Amino acid sequence: MSNAQHFKVAIIGGGPAGIGVAVGLAKRGVGPVVLIERRTEIGGTPMGYRKKPGGVPTFVEWTRGRVVFGEELAGRLAKRLALTDTAIRLSTQVTKIDPAEKRLTLLGQEGVCDITADAVVLTAGAREQTPAEKGWLAGARTSRVGFTRHLTGWLDGHGLLPARKPVVVGSDLIAYSAAAKMRDAGSDEPVMIDQRRGPSAGLFERFFFRRWTRPDWPGGVTAVEIKGDRYFVGIKSNDGKEWPGDGVIICGELVPNTELALLGGLAVELPSRQLQLARGQALSQPGWFAAGNVLGGFHGAQWCYFNGRRVARTVSHFL
Amino acid sequence: MTQFGTWQPKIRGRLFYNWPCGTCEEALRFISPVQLGSKPYDVAIVGAGVVGCALAYRLSMYDLRVLLVERLHDVGEGTSKANSALIHTGYDAKPGTLESELLREAAAYWPDLAARLKIPLDPIGGIMMAVTDEQERQLEVAKKNAYANRATDVSILSAAEVREREPNASSDVCGGLLVPRESMIDPFMASIAYAEVALVNGIDLLLGVDIAGVELGQALHHLITADGHRLPACRIVNAAGLGSRRLADGYGGGAFDINPRRGQFVLFDQSARSLVRHILLPVPTVNTKGVLVSPTIFGNLLVGPTAEDLPLDDPEAAHTTLEGIRRVIEGGSCLVSGLTEQPVVATYAGARCACNQGSYVIRYNDGAPGLVTLTGVRSTGLTASISLARHLIDGMQKELGLELSPDIEALDTRPESAWPGWWRRPFANDTVDARVDHGCVVCFCEVISEGEIRDALDSPLKPRTMDALKRRTRSMMGRCQGFDCQVPLAEIMSSHTGITISQLTKNGPGSELVAPSQRAFTA
Ligand SMILES: Cc1cc2nc3c(=O)[nH]c(=O)nc-3n(C[C@H](O)[C@H](O)[C@H](O)COP(=O)(O)OP(=O)(O)OC[C@H]3O[C@@H](n4cnc5c(N)ncnc54)[C@H](O)[C@@H]3O)c2cc1C
Ligand SMILES: Cc1cc2nc3c(=O)[nH]c(=O)nc-3n(C[C@H](O)[C@H](O)[C@H](O)COP(=O)(O)OP(=O)(O)OC[C@H]3O[C@@H](n4cnc5c(N)ncnc54)[C@H](O)[C@@H]3O)c2cc1C
Repeated sequence: MSNAQHFKVAIIGGGPAGIGVAVGLAKRGVGPVVLIERRTEIGGTPMGYRKKPGGVPTFVEWTRGRVVFGEELAGRLAKRLALTDTAIRLSTQVTKIDPAEKRLTLLGQEGVCDITADAVVLTAGAREQTPAEKGWLAGARTSRVGFTRHLTGWLDGHGLLPARKPVVVGSDLIAYSAAAKMRDAGSDEPVMIDQRRGPSAGLFERFFFRRWTRPDWPGGVTAVEIKGDRYFVGIKSNDGKEWPGDGVIICGELVPNTELALLGGLAVELPSRQLQLARGQALSQPGWFAAGNVLGGFHGAQWCYFNGRRVARTVSHFL
Repeated sequence: MTQFGTWQPKIRGRLFYNWPCGTCEEALRFISPVQLGSKPYDVAIVGAGVVGCALAYRLSMYDLRVLLVERLHDVGEGTSKANSALIHTGYDAKPGTLESELLREAAAYWPDLAARLKIPLDPIGGIMMAVTDEQERQLEVAKKNAYANRATDVSILSAAEVREREPNASSDVCGGLLVPRESMIDPFMASIAYAEVALVNGIDLLLGVDIAGVELGQALHHLITADGHRLPACRIVNAAGLGSRRLADGYGGGAFDINPRRGQFVLFDQSARSLVRHILLPVPTVNTKGVLVSPTIFGNLLVGPTAEDLPLDDPEAAHTTLEGIRRVIEGGSCLVSGLTEQPVVATYAGARCACNQGSYVIRYNDGAPGLVTLTGVRSTGLTASISLARHLIDGMQKELGLELSPDIEALDTRPESAWPGWWRRPFANDTVDARVDHGCVVCFCEVISEGEIRDALDSPLKPRTMDALKRRTRSMMGRCQGFDCQVPLAEIMSSHTGITISQLTKNGPGSELVAPSQRAFTA
């Protein structure tokens, strides 16, 4: 495909970070810019946290000094994006990259096509670590072992509570927000299982969520097995303790979505899947950059947006 | 216009799900045997593992009334879904045994069979790798054994020759045995393709029906379901795998002892695929074939299995343990360096049907005339399924007086357009032009579109559980393990079939994706 459409900058992922890059580039008059998002709407992960009266807001908007619903925060960012000239391709996935040629292969409702760009920014976000990746969870593969993303899907999307007596695996902010959302929807107080001595969420965060949840915290669990046949009935630790439940939510410990980089040949550290970063969040091939949660670790949505803005500056210098 | 990916043959057989709470379409629901007609079946097969499905496929070529009954809510959901996914040449079998014969016969069938049934198969070949001097000496023995099995295309490799072929081979490698034709396959599609063609050809398939017993008669027997229904059949084949003992007890079948031999696996990311070029096999010991390192047809790297004997009916026979996973990685690392740096995608376990009386135990007129017991199909049933089916049909002709006349309408092929084609059909613009939902990606890791999901739901053997959908499409099988796509997939399944979200299950009643609100929780 030689007639690939060419852009000044291509942004992979329309979450807070990708929006930040687009807004930053627009402010600097860089164009044309294309932003590619595989879901049906702009906004990324926060969009799954719908605004509900009486619900649990879990996204800190530092600039307003408030905690809001993900949807509100993402919605405000999306409005800023709409004011720019950025070309937006929704329901379109980048399926392959060629780092040397700065070429992307896209798949969407218009079919398959290639585009090229002078610079590419990877803002593909992160996902939650799977049980196998954790390396300390084994046992049965039953139903009702899901991720926080499923919880928001069932609860905010369909009004269904996936577990009435939940076990939460993980103890970061995402785990507390999951526990709070379930309590708020009428579940029992969850048990929170983690390898750590103390929860990974900070004191302030835990304090914030006390209004909704005070999960049971056994702490320092070294290895556990999932019990059940067709459905989950509980978790058992290697020292013989058991925690019954009717569903388990695997929370947090984010893994960056770096597979495009990894399979495309950009430098990625294994097995952590972390991008190798140079100054200014540049990647191993000139003209490639990254921003937001794809950098690894946990970053709040607003931080990701401002991180995207900052990378826009580096990108415009590069150009 | 022909719609891409859809296959609309005339389906002559009937498919029913036993789903007490009514969570599938009315037309698919099994309510009473009246739905199956009053004529007794010529052959009823209990167990729709890969073996039962292959037998149904072969029997469907003849003018016979055949019933295939399965306890679970899809075909191939027992041992047949959790194995090494290899088609063996039988080079390492015990010469002169039935197993050796069946494997040799099957290995010759597979390339053509896979093409006809559209089962992804890749004959990449294997290398048995010696990593100690003692093992190196054993290569000669293995070679002689292969020759005795008429696998004369094997050859001994020096350490340098192994390294040339496998740059990431462990530094301990001191020789190898090249085994051409060892192949990797899509293990799920084998059962599904067999059963699908059998269904089109007119066999009846009951899913979710547990056979609790057999009522013996003079010329006519009845299978008794756990719900008390009676299903009449002149001949019954017990292909129930690890359930074969319990079933045989129901008709007074002869003595045999079986137990699950658990095999655990670790599946690595696609990034690990390039570590190896062949299927790497360790030199076997008396007890086990050992941990192998193999690419998968889907582009991942598979390491395993363990061999752990557990008591019959152990509920944890297909569970993973941290100890097992550790041993798998340790075993794999003996063959390949760099494994531990690779990201893991999933772990799983399967249970071989290990039998004290040997492998491939077949008894005709076992306990009563017309009953066939098949058990001990331990470690090679996926490969041997097709030749074993041939062997069983020959045996039934001889021993049970089964008469065969070909069914002229029968197909032995799935059409080119048969769903799925993802593995050989890169996304093309005309696919998306024909139906726009083929361009809506739902499973991002494996790049599966909404159109393919809908095609799968409409395929002849209609999947109605999330796991059944997953095995047909590979959705939820990628690195995120359903993180992004599980809920959207459930939404598509629900809108396509009318099953409400709260009634959707992972693998049948009891495994609802969200906890049933009424269930009183008991610890
Ligand atoms: C499960 C989960 C729960 C969280 N809960 C909270 C919370 O309660 N409170 C809080 O403050 N923070 C939470 N966070 C963190 C917050 O979501 C992030 O800080 C923020 O969304 C990161 O922004 P981002 O743009 O980097 O990534 P994302 O918001 O994840 O956006 C990435 C986008 O890229 C798209 N994309 C990825 N790959 C491709 C591709 N190949 N082609 C096209 N598009 C692609 C994705 O569809 C996605 O829309 C959570 C994160 C996760 C993963
Ligand atoms: C770890 C491991 C690795 C393997 N690797 C390979 C390999 O690489 N190549 C290869 O060729 N083979 C391999 N095998 C062997 C292969 O998987 C098996 O031989 C094959 O799947 C057996 O199929 P089956 O149909 O006999 O049994 P199953 O798949 O177990 O089918 C039996 C079916 O009967 C059903 N059933 C039981 N009782 C009843 C009842 N009362 N009523 C109704 N239904 C009932 C069960 O639900 C089940 O679905 C491996 C096996 C394991 C465990």
